[in-house]
Amino acid sequence: MKKILILSAFCSSILLASSEVEDLKMQLLQQSEMIKALTQRLDKLEEEKSPYSENIASSGFDTSMMQGTQTANASFSQNAYLPDIALIINSSAVGRNIDNVDYSAYSTPGFIDTDPNKEIPFNPDRGFNLNYAEVAMYSAVDPYFDAFAIFHMRAADFEIDEAYVSTRDLPYGLKVKAGKFKSAFGRYNEKHQHAWEFSEQPIVYSGFFGPEGLSDPGVQLQWVAPTDTYLMLGVEAMQGTNEQSFAYAKTNNLYNTYVKSSVDVTEDTSVLAGISYIHGKNLEGNTDIYAADLTVQTQLDSYRSLAWQSEYMYRNREQNIKTARQDGMYTQLVYDINQNYSMGARYDILMKNNLGDKNLDMYTAMVEYKPFEFSRLRLEYSLDKSKYYGGEQKDVQQLMLELNIAVGAHGAHSY
Amino acid sequence: MKFLLFLMLTLASVYASLNVQTTYTSLGEIAKKVGGDKVSVNVLANPHYDPHFIVPKPSLISKLRRADVLIINGAGLELGWLPPLLKGAHNGKIRPGAKGFIDVSNAIKLQNIPATVSRAFGDVHSQGNPHYMLDPYSVIPAARLIASKLSAVDESNAEYYHENLDKFLKNWKIYLKGLDTKMRGCKEKNVVQYHELFNYFLNRYQYKSYGNIEPLPGVSPSSKHTLALINTIQSKKVNMILQDVYHNQKTAKFIAQKAGVKFLILPHDVGAVDKTDSLEKFYTVISNKICQ
Ligand SMILES: [Zn+2]
Repeated sequence: MKKILILSAFCSSILLASSEVEDLKMQLLQQSEMIKALTQRLDKLEEEKSPYSENIASSGFDTSMMQGTQTANASFSQNAYLPDIALIINSSAVGRNIDNVDYSAYSTPGFIDTDPNKEIPFNPDRGFNLNYAEVAMYSAVDPYFDAFAIFHMRAADFEIDEAYVSTRDLPYGLKVKAGKFKSAFGRYNEKHQHAWEFSEQPIVYSGFFGPEGLSDPGVQLQWVAPTDTYLMLGVEAMQGTNEQSFAYAKTNNLYNTYVKSSVDVTEDTSVLAGISYIHGKNLEGNTDIYAADLTVQTQLDSYRSLAWQSEYMYRNREQNIKTARQDGMYTQLVYDINQNYSMGARYDILMKNNLGDKNLDMYTAMVEYKPFEFSRLRLEYSLDKSKYYGGEQKDVQQLMLELNIAVGAHGAHSY
Repeated sequence: MKFLLFLMLTLASVYASLNVQTTYTSLGEIAKKVGGDKVSVNVLANPHYDPHFIVPKPSLISKLRRADVLIINGAGLELGWLPPLLKGAHNGKIRPGAKGFIDVSNAIKLQNIPATVSRAFGDVHSQGNPHYMLDPYSVIPAARLIASKLSAVDESNAEYYHENLDKFLKNWKIYLKGLDTKMRGCKEKNVVQYHELFNYFLNRYQYKSYGNIEPLPGVSPSSKHTLALINTIQSKKVNMILQDVYHNQKTAKFIAQKAGVKFLILPHDVGAVDKTDSLEKFYTVISNKICQ
């Protein structure tokens, strides 16, 4: 508007070029004064108008964004094409009634053999532990694939915890994952240690699969049913390298199937249940594992919730001398008190064990303090009655303070 | 036979409308206005809860599984809960970047974009303040974006969506005129908030926000910060404390009592408090409370 006024003044001054110099000067002066007055009025009008005008609509609406693809990264990530990168550091201070030399030599007859060089990846030492630093990366590869990797690093160890590619755009609610990944059966298995509700692994998991759970190279196919009720079906074919249950060694041997379903009982209470069947081979025969899980969660307000979660597993493992028939379970209750505090308790038990003592159990309790979303201090006490030393069952008492932090583009955890 | 016919008819009617999911209620209201009877709209987040932290229940996955269109607020507001749900839904139609994925923040000029981003400053919204739906004027660009996106997904009804849009915007502008007139009469304009949740409304009507009860975004109140805030309230002559429905009200009430100022609970979205079940009522309730 102002520009037009100045321009018109300029044009008229050119048109008037033939008039006398005095006249011209006069007119120019008059015009410039007029422009000044007009500009002032305009400014004033604009000032009055500004807060109540529809300015957002015109300035913010960018039609170039409407093709879609350009907006993909802006919505959920900070960097244009760099993968989302997160660093997770987990360390602990442990007090325990058994010294470090003895501790690693434990066994659980029928489940875990005595091996003084046994690898204990989490909280092995009385005193201080740097458990691991983990680097997680995620990115879309192209319109068809996503890539995800977690590199797990310990003082003398580098491990590819997971590295897989998954499809983005298959029809009919299907998704395929390929690479090395954690099996999605049950509740604990797929979660990384830093996402566990308790720092110690449930003994049925450590007994059947060891500290890393069931994790292998393989392929996974999942299908989500187009129903009101959540229903997910998964099948996995994996290498089967897990020494505690499989490790056939001659060829790939592990197959999983699982079904998960969830209903909202009320607006704030939901139930998630799953059943799984895992079939594989060990060097002496077949191994079959049947598992079931149940989670009930109630939301009390935005930051308070109560979650009760249980898993049961049964294993039939053929061996030359005697087929192992074993089962175990855990049940846990976690209460999120507010944005900063949580507390919880868990009971673990190995109920059936035809190769050793049964009813080996563990009691765990914890209090958690999260000063912020990405840092967590957890004080956890456990009384573990599942460990044997030199053929004798011995109670292991442990008090642990664990610090976990996550920095960078760390994705939200699922339910 | 009759049953079969009935089944086919119901199926046809179900599939005739576009399945639209929105993350929050205000976006759902706009989608209903623009989509009319050609869409069925469902809102994922319960407006009584903190919009930053919605529990990613598996039932929400099944809602997303069958969606034709997903409308999100964007600017990071759903970062804490939506990505795992989208990952679990296996629905290419609504994955970020697809035709059916609508990020409304793309149509909005965001405010409070931080110059430096670090979590040392708390859970800062790195792309700018995402609570733009608190500005009643944001409804206009949001509705326009939704109309053009719905038209792209469902071309045969493009004209219908644009007719709805024009009708809706015409009424909305009339509503805004009334609201503006009313807001011009407000005298007390100095506030303190819990989180920078109401900035867009406050900026629209020239209120001044002198501080937040949370010391840093996402960090719980501390006594040191609270005492400093009471001093600020007194020295800056703050008139009222604005709080959302989902945070603990203890600190705000304490401050209000100590400093002798008003304590108000404002809705952050349609349906967050009673009698805010439409867009008009939502903004009217805010204006009634804040401009007494
Ligand atoms: Zn926020």
